[in-house]
Amino acid sequence: MGAKTKSVGEINEKIGDGSVRVVTADRMTEIVRELGAEEAAREVDVVTTGTFGPMCSSGVFLNFGHADPPIKMQRVWLNDVEAYTGVAAVDAYLGATQLSEERGAEYGGGCVVEDLVAGRAVEVKAVGYGTDCYPRKEVETTITLEDLNQAVMLNPRNAFQRHEVGTNSTDRTLYTYMGTLLPNYRNANYCGAGSLSPLCNDPDFETVGVGTRIFLCGATGYVVGAGTQHDPANRFGTLAVSGNLKEMSTEFLRGATFYGYGVSLYVGLGVPIPVLNAEVARKAGVSDAEIETEVVDFGVGRRERPVLRRVSYEELKSGAIEIGIGRGSKGSKGSKGGTEKEVKTSPLSSFFMAKRVAEELKSRIEAGEFLLSVPVERLPTPAESVFKPMKQTEELPLVKDVMLRETPTISERASIADAAKLITESQTTHIPVVSANEKLVGIVTAWDISTAVAKREEGLAEIMTRKVVTTDLEQCLELVIRKLERHNISALPVVDADRRVLGMVTSDEISKLVGKKRKRWQWRLR
Amino acid sequence: MKLLLRFPPDLHETPHTADVILETGARINIDRANVDAVQGEAVIEVPKEKEVQVAALFEQKGVEVRRLWRLIERDEERCVHCGACVSVCPTGVFAFDQSWQVSVEEQKCIRCSVCVKACPLGALACVE
Repeated sequence: MGAKTKSVGEINEKIGDGSVRVVTADRMTEIVRELGAEEAAREVDVVTTGTFGPMCSSGVFLNFGHADPPIKMQRVWLNDVEAYTGVAAVDAYLGATQLSEERGAEYGGGCVVEDLVAGRAVEVKAVGYGTDCYPRKEVETTITLEDLNQAVMLNPRNAFQRHEVGTNSTDRTLYTYMGTLLPNYRNANYCGAGSLSPLCNDPDFETVGVGTRIFLCGATGYVVGAGTQHDPANRFGTLAVSGNLKEMSTEFLRGATFYGYGVSLYVGLGVPIPVLNAEVARKAGVSDAEIETEVVDFGVGRRERPVLRRVSYEELKSGAIEIGIGRGSKGSKGSKGGTEKEVKTSPLSSFFMAKRVAEELKSRIEAGEFLLSVPVERLPTPAESVFKPMKQTEELPLVKDVMLRETPTISERASIADAAKLITESQTTHIPVVSANEKLVGIVTAWDISTAVAKREEGLAEIMTRKVVTTDLEQCLELVIRKLERHNISALPVVDADRRVLGMVTSDEISKLVGKKRKRWQWRLR
Repeated sequence: MKLLLRFPPDLHETPHTADVILETGARINIDRANVDAVQGEAVIEVPKEKEVQVAALFEQKGVEVRRLWRLIERDEERCVHCGACVSVCPTGVFAFDQSWQVSVEEQKCIRCSVCVKACPLGALACVE
């Protein structure tokens, strides 16, 4: 029987003499199940983990070297994607999600990073304000990765311990950072490598810490510290990592575009776990069935999205999950207490590539090319971590703050002439049409009335719009504005749960409140 | 065999597809169809033995017919086998194999192009 504990130093000696025993994290699950944690700790020295998914909080520091005459870059663009250059004269940080000024969401920072790593030429344009020491005001050039002095990937938040699953209760397709979410819960998208995931195999950060040597996009990288939004109390740990872009490969790094959302970067990241004792082995033996996350409804455009259920990665990987949906939802089987609906699942991160990362790290360790490291500092514990919502000094107005109350309505049995009279008297352009029991059944506009008169129509019921876009009292104004823009309309009725009309929200009223201080979006969907 | 039909606007008034079905007796399956102000377009599935006859008859009626040898094309270099295409496809073209690589069953494709937008790597295209 061997010793019950090992040190990183002892494992590195084994790597040196070629006797090290390395397994990938999915294999470790089977070994722990078969042999138990004690025996597994004796049999295995290192567990390699891996993940390969879109990690928006990524980017690269670049040093261009000095131009002649020299320029202090005030703004710089790479292939028309702006990088932050408020750091000295010719350093810049290019973030993965920054969009191209011309091409918008079709191309961005993540794509530039991939182009650089692929060895493709990148157009650089910079402007400065001109000083005695940096007289030049403009420079345009073409560079490749080789031409840069340094190119260092520095990702503030990678390797999420787990990630929420996105689905969509609404009746329109949503394009989100969780991909395309079809209407009426027709699909659910998830992310993360499950039992291969780095932080799921060391959930209490016993071996990974500041300074841990890792695999990053094909290069040897390091854990810089806990990632931003690191939230170990809720098992949402994250890592900040860094590595040399010049050593990376496009096999393990890809620029990506999420239609309707924007640009990101697929990052391949692997953390080796030294199996120091049975406890470490037991935790590295975690299975997909034991890793749980939450399914949330992206149909709600607020910070707190409704959680529909908890789900394991085993269920997610099966290709479909059951989601209980409320009474009256489309697609339900119609029973009173809500029903279970089978929803198809898709990952956005690649299990195939996550395994490739873990395998590649394993072979580098076995070949003696990659030594393990002892962290110089542990990651913050739950008690030391902070993850809270943004402090907002301005309260967001709600529908009830801006709606027009006591707005007129008209009966569906009224004539066109009645409606014309009401529009003239009330000075409004939109009149909700209600049934005998006061429920909203349609809407007519001044334009509808003019058209009806021209065509000599008589009944209101024939000409009204029956599919009315509505809102409710507690809805955020921000979301109502999106609704108005999306449907290209200028007013909508506010209704209660029984579809009784409480008032109207109009773009005129919103303009008064919001004013013109808001900038329009700089790009639109194509 | 899948055929892409393009109907010039002046043909919209006549039920050509119905006529072709009645005349040939072919059990045509309409995968997808849309009509706008400029033209009508449809993708139909035709049993192999009737393909030549059906195509000829449509052409005779002034409909532009193109045989769809390829329905959806994947750039193998771009694809990272994430699977973002799997759940959005209405006909189940994409599926994971044992090694978690995404397989493509092209004949199921109806060219709705939902997957083209859903692919974060831009690896999918509806080929003409």
